[in-house]
Parts: sequence; C-alpha cells; structure tokens
Amino acid sequence: MARPSARTFRFRRRNLPCEAEQTLAATLSAQGVRILGRSIRYHRPRAPFCGVGYCTQCLVRVNGVPNIRSCTYVPAPGDAVGTENGWPSVDRDLLGALDWLFPHGIDTLRGFRRPAAFRGLYHRVIRSLAGYGRPPTPPARPEPRAGERIDTELLVVGAGPAGRAAAARLASAGHQVLLVDRGPLLAPPPQARARAGTTVTFLPAPDPGRSPRFVATGLGADGTPVLLRAQTVCVAAGAYDGGLLVPGVDRPGVLTASGALSLAGPQGEPPFPQAIVFGGGARAGELLDRFGTHVAAAVSPGAFAPEVAARAAELEIPLYPRSLLVEIRGRRGVAAVRIQGRGGGPEQLLPVDAVLLAHCRFPNGQLFFQAGAQMDWRGSLGAYTPVLGPGFETSVPGLFAVGEAAGFEPGSPAEASGIAAAEQLLEGTTPSVLPARAEPGRPSEMAGYYTELLRRRAGRGKWILCACEDVLLQELEEASRAGYRGLEEIKRYTGVGTGLCQGRFCLPAAILLLSDLEHRPPSEVGYIRQRPPVVPTPLGTWARMPEETG
Amino acid sequence: MSGEPRDRYAVVIVGGGIVGLFTAYHLARAGTGPIAVFERGFLSSGASGRNGGGVRQQWETGATVALAREAVAAWRRFPGEFGFNPYFRQGGYLFLAESAAELAQLDRVAATVRAAGLPLERLDPRAVARRAPGIRTDRIQGASYLGSDGTLYPFPAIWGAYEAARRLGVDVFLRSEVTAIDSEGGRVLGVRVGGRRVAADRVVNAAGGWSGELSRRAGLSVPNVASRHEILATEPMKRFLDPMLIRLSDGLYVSQTMRGELVGGLSVPHPPGVVPGPPSSIAFLRRMSASLVDLFPNLSGLNVLRAWAGYYDDTPDGMPVIGEDPRLRGFFHANGFGGHGFMLSPATSLRVARSVLGERTDLDPARFGPARFLSPGRAMHAEHLQPG
Ligand SMILES: Cc1cc2nc3c(=O)[nH]c(=O)nc-3n(C[C@H](O)[C@H](O)[C@H](O)COP(=O)(O)OP(=O)(O)OC[C@H]3O[C@@H](n4cnc5c(N)ncnc54)[C@H](O)[C@@H]3O)c2cc1C
Ligand code: FES
Repeated sequence: MARPSARTFRFRRRNLPCEAEQTLAATLSAQGVRILGRSIRYHRPRAPFCGVGYCTQCLVRVNGVPNIRSCTYVPAPGDAVGTENGWPSVDRDLLGALDWLFPHGIDTLRGFRRPAAFRGLYHRVIRSLAGYGRPPTPPARPEPRAGERIDTELLVVGAGPAGRAAAARLASAGHQVLLVDRGPLLAPPPQARARAGTTVTFLPAPDPGRSPRFVATGLGADGTPVLLRAQTVCVAAGAYDGGLLVPGVDRPGVLTASGALSLAGPQGEPPFPQAIVFGGGARAGELLDRFGTHVAAAVSPGAFAPEVAARAAELEIPLYPRSLLVEIRGRRGVAAVRIQGRGGGPEQLLPVDAVLLAHCRFPNGQLFFQAGAQMDWRGSLGAYTPVLGPGFETSVPGLFAVGEAAGFEPGSPAEASGIAAAEQLLEGTTPSVLPARAEPGRPSEMAGYYTELLRRRAGRGKWILCACEDVLLQELEEASRAGYRGLEEIKRYTGVGTGLCQGRFCLPAAILLLSDLEHRPPSEVGYIRQRPPVVPTPLGTWARMPEETG
Repeated sequence: MSGEPRDRYAVVIVGGGIVGLFTAYHLARAGTGPIAVFERGFLSSGASGRNGGGVRQQWETGATVALAREAVAAWRRFPGEFGFNPYFRQGGYLFLAESAAELAQLDRVAATVRAAGLPLERLDPRAVARRAPGIRTDRIQGASYLGSDGTLYPFPAIWGAYEAARRLGVDVFLRSEVTAIDSEGGRVLGVRVGGRRVAADRVVNAAGGWSGELSRRAGLSVPNVASRHEILATEPMKRFLDPMLIRLSDGLYVSQTMRGELVGGLSVPHPPGVVPGPPSSIAFLRRMSASLVDLFPNLSGLNVLRAWAGYYDDTPDGMPVIGEDPRLRGFFHANGFGGHGFMLSPATSLRVARSVLGERTDLDPARFGPARFLSPGRAMHAEHLQPG
C-alpha cells in the first residue's frame, strides 16, 4: 500500500510508490509483480535477470517510450509504466502458445519459402509478430537539456576500487582528473571531479595528431549527451556477472548475482524465499553473506573456495561441489533445480524459488575494442582483455586498463592496479609488486563443464542459448554441422549475440561450444566484439551530442 | 571449404561477396570446368554482410532501371530457387524532396521509371504521412514512391548463393587472400594465394571495396575508390514503417526490417581509401540521429543498438564496371557497385558470367565497360541518384 503522502507512479491500473533510489524493477518485485514481458520469438515469460541494464528481460514502456530497462530506471512521480509484447497481457499471453507449438524452434532462415503464393502472407504475419515494444509516442515532456562538453587532462572510467584508487592518486599529485561512473558515486576522491550516472558509450581510437587525443561520448542521467575530451584515459569499467547455458535459464527467478542484489529491498530483504547459488568463488561468497538463510544450497561447477566453504558451514548451507546444474524446472518461475555430480555422480532435485548465478564474471572490455587496443584471450576468464605493458598501458598510446576490466582476478587487490597505473603515469616507473592477472593459458572452468553437460543432454524443453533473440543451442549446432565456422559466421547465421545485450550473456558460452564443435581452442573461434555504443543510447541523445572540435 | 585448392581452375573469382558467389553459381550452372572463389575474410565479411538491404528500381538511367527490374523478379524467386528466405518484402521506396532542385531530380527519375512501364507515384506531403506515420511533413515538398521496391535481409541471400554454388561443385576458400595476379604478355595466367600459384585463364575481380587494389596488383590503373560508409540499427519495435525512406537533402536512408529494428545510414565525408581504425564515428552517430529525429520527433527516445561500417566501391560516374579489361585478356571486372551492388547482384552477376563465358551481353559498353575510363574527356553517362 502506498503511504497516503507518497508520491506515486502508475503501473497498469495501480498506483505504486516512488521510493528514493529504488529502481522500477525492485519496486515491482517488492509489490509481487513477477512477469514484466514476453520473449521476442516464443513469448516466454520474462522477468529481471542482470540488474545492470544489459539484458533484455525487464524491458517496460515508460511514458510512451519502449524498451526502458526497469532494473536501472528509477520511476518519477506521475510516470506511466506499462508492459509490452504480451497479448492480451504479459501474465496471460496467448502468443505463449508459440512456445509449445514449436518445441524445436522456428527455422526463420530456411522457413516460409513455399508455396510462393503464401509467402507474402507469411511475411506479414511474421512482421506483425516481430519487434518488442510498440513505437514510441510523441514526447510529452520537453527534450532533456542540451549536451555538455567536458575537457579534462585525465579521464578515469569506472569508480570501483581500481578506478577510485587511480583517480585519487592522480588527483593528489595535482593532475586534473574526471572520474565517471554509470551508477551512483560513493565517496569520490576529494581532489578529483566526479560524475555519477554517466555511461561512457563510445571511445573511438585516438587521433594521434589531435590534442586532446581522446574524444569519447557519454550517456548522462535523463539521456543527457556528454562529450568527454581527455589526453589520457584510464578504463576501470569493471566486470559483469555472466549467464549460463542450461534448460530453463530464462525463467523468471533466475538471476545473476548483480540481479539478485539489485532486487533486494531497502532492508536487504531478498526477492525470493529460497534460492540456490551457482558458483564457488568470491562472488558466491558475497551472496551467502548477503542472503544467508535464504540460500538453500550452493552448487559449484568446481571446488568451493575455502572462505566460501567456511561461511557456508557457519550458515549450515549444504554445498554441492563439482556439480552440473542440469535443468531449471518450473512453469512461470523456478520450482526446482536438478543437479548431478560431475563425472556421473548422483542426481538430485532441489526445490527452490530462485537460482542465483555467481560462477563467472566477464570484464567490460568494449571500450578497449572500440579504441583499437590489441586484445588477447584469457582462458581462465573465458574473455578477451587488453595486452598490457608493465605500467598497465594498452597498445593504444594514452589508454590504460586497471581492475577487473583489465582481467585482474576478482578479489585480487584491485586498488593496487589502479595505484600502479597512476604511478606509471606520474613517474614512468613500474611498480615492483603487481597484482595478479587471470592466467591466459589455463582454460576456463566452464569449457569442460559444457562438454560434459552437453554429452548428458538431460534437460527437457528448449535450450535457450541466447535469451535476447530466443536462439536455441540446436541452431548453433546445426549451423556448425552445415559447415559455418567461427563466431562471426555463426553469429550472423543463427542470430546468437545479435540481441539487445550485444551478446554479453550468450557469446561466452557460444565460444566454448564452438571451440568444442570445431575442435580448436576458443581463442581461434573469434571475438566478442560489441559494436558501439556500449549500452543502447537514445537517438535524441546522439542528435544533441556536442561537436568534437571547438 | 577447407582443403587445398587445385593447381588449375577454369575460372578463379576473387571475392566471396554476393557478386562473386552469384557469378560462381551462374558459371557452374553453365558448366565451364572447375571454379574457385577466394575470399580473404569470413563469409559475408565485405559490404555484402554490412549493407542496408535496400532494393529499388527508381533510377535516373533506364539501363539501371532495366537491371533493377530483373533483379526484383529474381529476388522474388530466390527462396524457391536457393532454399533460403531473405525475406524480400516489397514495401516500396519513398524518396523525399525538400527543395525545388530535388523535385526536379525526382521528375527526371519519374520520367525514366514510367517510361520503363513501372507505376511510380508522385506523393504530396499528406500522402507521405500516410505511408510513414509520425513523419514531420512541413519541409517536404514532394515525394516519389514505387510500391514494388523493397528491402531484404542480406545474410540468407549470401548463405543461399554460397550453398548453391558449392552444391554445383564450386570450391569456395574462406580466409584465403589473393595476393597477386600472374600475367604475361597481356594475358592472365593465374593468381597467388598463400604463397601458392593457382593457374587460371580467367580471373574475375569481384573484390568489392578492394577491387581497385586488386586491379593494381594486376598492374592495371583503375579509377575505383573505396569509401567508408556507416550505418546503424536501433532496437526493434513493432511494425510501423513499410517503405524504405530516402531523404535527398542529406542522403539519409532508413527502413524497418522484418525484425522490427530501424536500419539506416547517411553519408558522412571520410577520406577515400581503406583506412585502419574504428569503423564508426561520433560524427555519423550525431548526424544520422539528428536527421532521423528531425523527420520523426517521436523516435527521440528510441535506442541506437549498434553502429558499424563498410566500404562502397565507387566509380567516377556512379555506374558499375562489368566485362573483360581490354589491357589484360582474361581479367574480368565485376565491381564498382557503389552503394547498390547487393540489390542488383542477381542481374549483374548473370552478365558477368556471360562475359566470362565469352558471350555477348545486353550491357552497353559505353555505360558499363571497363574501357570507358580509358579515353579521357569522353562524356560519361552518370547515374546521379546515389543515396540509398
Ligand atoms: C553501409 C552500406 C550500406 C549499403 N546499402 C546497400 C543497400 O541498401 N542496397 C544495396 O543493394 N547495396 C547496398 N550497399 C552496397 C552493397 O553492399 C555492395 O555493393 C555489395 O555488397 C557488393 O558486393 P560485392 O560482392 O561486390 O562486394 P563485397 O561484399 O565487399 O565482397 C568483396 C569481397 O572480396 C574480398 N576480397 C577483397 N580483396 C580480396 C583479395 N585480394 N583476395 C580475396 N578476397 C578479397 C573481401 O573480403 C570481400 O568479402 C551498401 C554498402 C554499405 C557499406
Ligand atoms: S543473450 Fe543477449 S544477445 Fe544473446
């Protein structure tokens, strides 16, 4: 119930309270609203997943604009929020029938060819089903403010521990530093300028003949365009919690670690009664700490880190090391998970309401790719990270990489890399003690995991590989069998990775699967090279972006 | 295709874009002996995998209209013939004029297109608004519309041509760059690939934006230049826009694909030639978005999902180059397609194949032949309707 004095927004036919800093997704979750949309092809139920504005699972319509990420949008009083892509509603969507009518998927590449006389009709039907939100209605509010241009000597992207440490060290040495972050900025370093709520969306390769060298674009609060010019850029954009390939992974109630944390209530109340945590490292440990007795069990593809095991013992949470998550069961949400020991151990069915994915984190490497930095495959992370010199400089002059974005293991002293990069910039000296980067040679734990899981093929129902585009595992396998090779061809052939998250949640698994199918190392299968912008950015923001020169 | 190429082929095609693949298909159907296609990158890595999918028959020159008409018929047949569905959707092309000069250009186009018997319509701003809901019409002075123009999704067309060619025995080598053309006494002897010689009496230059470079590797000077063109896609929406829109004032083109996203571009001047470095630019994102929001103010909040770029292969007169080079026997051009090579490819590649087979084609050498650039000062029959 809304407090009488509360300021409210409208969701379907209800008035819901606007709580300070509370996102739309968290507010709706607290109000018991579960399903926020329907998937693009098979109309499967969709609910918040990643909590950081990357995935496609929590899109709603706000004030006539489609595709607003409810996990990062904070509703304002008077907002009108609606759902999309469900008919008549997302809760009871008749088009959900497509999901069981096509248990093996719809072959859109070869489909709808004959008879030629009906092709026009097919195309009309497909076209009216395609797309997600309805087109935007004319803006009711005046356009947001004009763009801003900010010049700085040093730009630090990302205000996590590494970025903050670098910014603090550089600023205390008297340099002009601007620290920007997508989210709120907690405790910015005193001498540095700071800008919260601003995503750096595009960092083109620097023009060597130009001063300042770098011109980047940013997406500020309310869609404000920001043009950033800097002589030196230090990227500390961190990492994100990755997805998993398993039947049922797209069910409401399956959340990444950040997704689970983002839905917790103001007092930390979890958005579920009982969950399993998947993963055995530091991130899984964080979830145990945070959700305690609401964790029914922890399941890890490998061993559990000793600290995590100790914490679980204290909380009396059962652990299942070296186990496969075989299937996530349920209809409109999660009801149970099936797990099985690696190498053919016993099978178990654990009844739970949520699955929290904490098994892997991928570096946010898009800005390095955009800037043209040389990248290499870091097997143990299952991702590409920039090739770094001893002082954390990338192959692009003036571009530095620190923290998790650079491939430093989560939990390693991230500050140290930030300070070290700053020292290098200031003094040109290489610090003697360097934090450890993830090993390039060691293969990702998930590589062998998927090989084993697929050999088992135990789960029922669709194996959704790419939840944004509803691409099935079998489509990837068929493309590979037809002779298409490498991520670039497979991506275009199947559509995997072409959705709104730009492949963040499906391509890491796709690379491992292709490596298996093509019998060559993942590094030869290809890149996950998201094209600009880093996050979807409104046309109106680009249109008002200040000029690069002047 | 993996494996090693043979020592000799009847025809070697350089470039595995849509033009090279269709040409290989037509040659194989005619039965010319072994054919190889060498593609430097992955399949669809050139302009054929990066374009806007527009297919139009509105042109200023009748020769192009005729090719485009034939191509439209071929695209309609494609799913049945090739087993893949490129979703060729005939939602029309709508050219928008915002000045007297642009109206005059549309008059010339209308005359040519109607002379070919196609039912082109001239629309007033009200009729434009009916075909493009939400468009701002205050600056639009007139438009031309042809309902049988349309858009397609390029990838299935590439897979279809690739698989059909291979079924007919064509060897397609991906990740295989042709580094040199061997010739002697004004005759082609073959190509070099990965340090190997592959002999062939006939070599087709279907290298798209890199065709100028390839011709130069064969010792021929040609006027083709590669020019970088950028393009973007928005997030998908439910259907609202059927035709491809072209704004003559700034070259904006945009259509809503079968998946519901808006895909389009606009020309931002870049230095000519293939450049290393980032394919996209801030200037493009700004100008493209500004033009789109200017036309459709309601789209301001719609997200740009991704931006990318590719190379046009431009010629001085905006017309393609098709046929044997008079300076080097056995070296055939299939290039210079600018921003329109995909839509025309079913018709152009058939003529490339015929000329490789030594047959006469219906193409006027003064408009399409490589010799047209060799006598300076000759009047050119330029095609001026370039955008989209
Ligand atoms: C942004 C953009 C939008 C466009 N929009 C449209 C449109 O709406 N409609 C339309 O019809 N057309 C459009 N075009 C143009 C169209 O894409 C091209 O004209 C067409 O794809 C050309 O096909 P191609 O096979 O000649 O060239 P490509 O597809 O470029 O193929 C040439 C291939 O040759 C390979 N190659 C080059 N050199 C060598 C070598 N030495 N050895 C081996 N391989 C080599 C390249 O890797 C490349 O794959 C657009 C182009 C761009 C860039
Ligand atoms: S899951 Fe988002 S693109 Fe595949």
